Amino acid sequence: MSLIMVRNVHKHYTLDKADAPALIDVSLEVSPGERVCLMGPSGSGKSTLLNLIGCIDSPTSGAVVIDGEDTKGMGDARLSEFRNRRMGFIFQSFNLIPVLSVFENVEYPLLLQKMPAQKRRARVQELLARVGLSDMSRRSPENLSGGQRQRVAIARALVGKPLLVIADEPTASLDHATGSGVMELMMEMNRSEGSTLVFSTHDASVSRYAGRIVTMIDGRITEDRRAA
Amino acid sequence: MKIVIMAWRNLLRQKRRTLITLSALIVGLCGVVVFQGYITSLMRNFRDSTIRSGIGHLQIAQAPGYYQDGEFNPYAYALANADSLQAGLKAMPEVHAVFPSTGFTSIAGEGDKSVTLLVKGYPAERMYFSSSSRRETPPADRFELGALVEGSAPAPQEHDRLVLGETAARILGAKPGSVVTLMAVLPNGGLNGRDFTVSGIYHSPGRDKIFAFTDYDTAVDFTGITAPPVLHVLARSVNAAGGVESRLPRGLAVRTWHDLATYYVQVNTMFSGFLSVIRAIILLVTLFIMANTMNRIVRERMREWGTLRAMGTKKGQILLVVVLEGCFQGIVGAAIGIVIGFGVSALINAAGGVPFTAGGQRVAVRLIIDAGSVWWNVIPAALFAAAASFLPGLRAVRLSPSQCLRQL
Repeated sequence: MSLIMVRNVHKHYTLDKADAPALIDVSLEVSPGERVCLMGPSGSGKSTLLNLIGCIDSPTSGAVVIDGEDTKGMGDARLSEFRNRRMGFIFQSFNLIPVLSVFENVEYPLLLQKMPAQKRRARVQELLARVGLSDMSRRSPENLSGGQRQRVAIARALVGKPLLVIADEPTASLDHATGSGVMELMMEMNRSEGSTLVFSTHDASVSRYAGRIVTMIDGRITEDRRAA
Repeated sequence: MKIVIMAWRNLLRQKRRTLITLSALIVGLCGVVVFQGYITSLMRNFRDSTIRSGIGHLQIAQAPGYYQDGEFNPYAYALANADSLQAGLKAMPEVHAVFPSTGFTSIAGEGDKSVTLLVKGYPAERMYFSSSSRRETPPADRFELGALVEGSAPAPQEHDRLVLGETAARILGAKPGSVVTLMAVLPNGGLNGRDFTVSGIYHSPGRDKIFAFTDYDTAVDFTGITAPPVLHVLARSVNAAGGVESRLPRGLAVRTWHDLATYYVQVNTMFSGFLSVIRAIILLVTLFIMANTMNRIVRERMREWGTLRAMGTKKGQILLVVVLEGCFQGIVGAAIGIVIGFGVSALINAAGGVPFTAGGQRVAVRLIIDAGSVWWNVIPAALFAAAASFLPGLRAVRLSPSQCLRQL
């Protein structure tokens, strides 16, 4: 059974009273454990598709089914819990919460899950150790380098053992070497945690980390192929 | 819990902006605290002087009618068992003094001049007239009836003495030592007349044309009443009066100072109203400033709201973060304003207080630093600040997480 089923999805935005299609009749299925890369130029619809898969936006028409559940009928509270339990997000700009320490940022999704304190602390420490930031757990995100911030974001995305990790251009704000390191870490962590990974990039060198590459242009999937 | 921590840390994120936002609240509440300290001090003095001007903390009569027409017509309101009641009250530790009074209406004449007087009779040892030249604190077990300008108050063993008001004395042409004839109608319709020697002349604006004072025994002898119509209780404090009242026998008509001091209550209500209006204006100004700031803050942090929502934070929790941040701003602003207000009050007191003229005498009003007033300022400030954050908070949750994340 597919973990992600996107069926005949359309997404339109209204810009200055004009209708702007972002996705046109997009269908995609992703199996558990797959590593899928969405590629395409800016404005091709990668981020919009990721947002729909991540349930942080809703389609204009069509269906998005995640882990067998159609996300269309879910209310906000149910969707919030759904995202918290089953998804992890990694953003281009890291999006760490500046008023929380490194430890607290990673801990946050577990707090929403109401995980007991002892178990929570152990899990956060484990993740921080795996991303190599154990000794920086009390630091503010503002005192970290870009690469370190993205490693915190990876730990935060994976701490709740999500089925699906969504990463929107995770290396776009990093230099090449740091970006490669982050991707290596993301792949390794993803493998060990057993999550499915869907990420977007317009950098061809990043796409080599994927097992499957979906190319998008002007809101449509133009190519869907297994990586070499 | 993390929601509360996040709200608190957000408050400290841009300290300068927070302080600028809160400056209206800080300055306003500082002013309120100083003004409140001044008004409270004035009103406390006014309350105490009202209680000691002839009311007492409690008055005990036989029937409620006494309080309508009995003060100067005591014949129908004899208080049964007055002696035992007085003895019981004296034994209470909260009671400073308990004593009777009576009064009568009379026409006072000297030579060809006459004036109508309301004569009150108190035990001589319970009457106190302050000096007209210097401000004194009256003894706690006496009524302060005015400022003596000439002569003296009747001594305990002196009878048929009268302390006349300055205006009445001027009309009559009386001086200490003058003999004034008082005439009063008795309950049987007869007319009683007696010569009183003026022992002193007092000054009390608004009272000294009408009121005159004699000792209680003389008043009883003159009117022929068999029992006092009323007992006055001077308690050790205003709060202690409540305890005394609760232990009085049933069936008596008891009035507290608050029931009887209608002018004080009116003035106090007026000043409380002033304070409430000033406080409301300050809070409204704060509300608009804070709403504006919170709007800006919410817009600036859209990505954070989007990130939190993506991680599974519910809309209500985001709203709570924003409202709590506003609430904390209100609490912090109010606390700073109050602390500065207390500091300013202490400085004013250290400099000798605020000059105030009362009854022609200059006194220094010492501002009251009332810790109990803190909640009256902090709680409304916190609620107004929370209210000011509510609409911006709704803006934070109105957009979808992806819309929030797209904001720059």
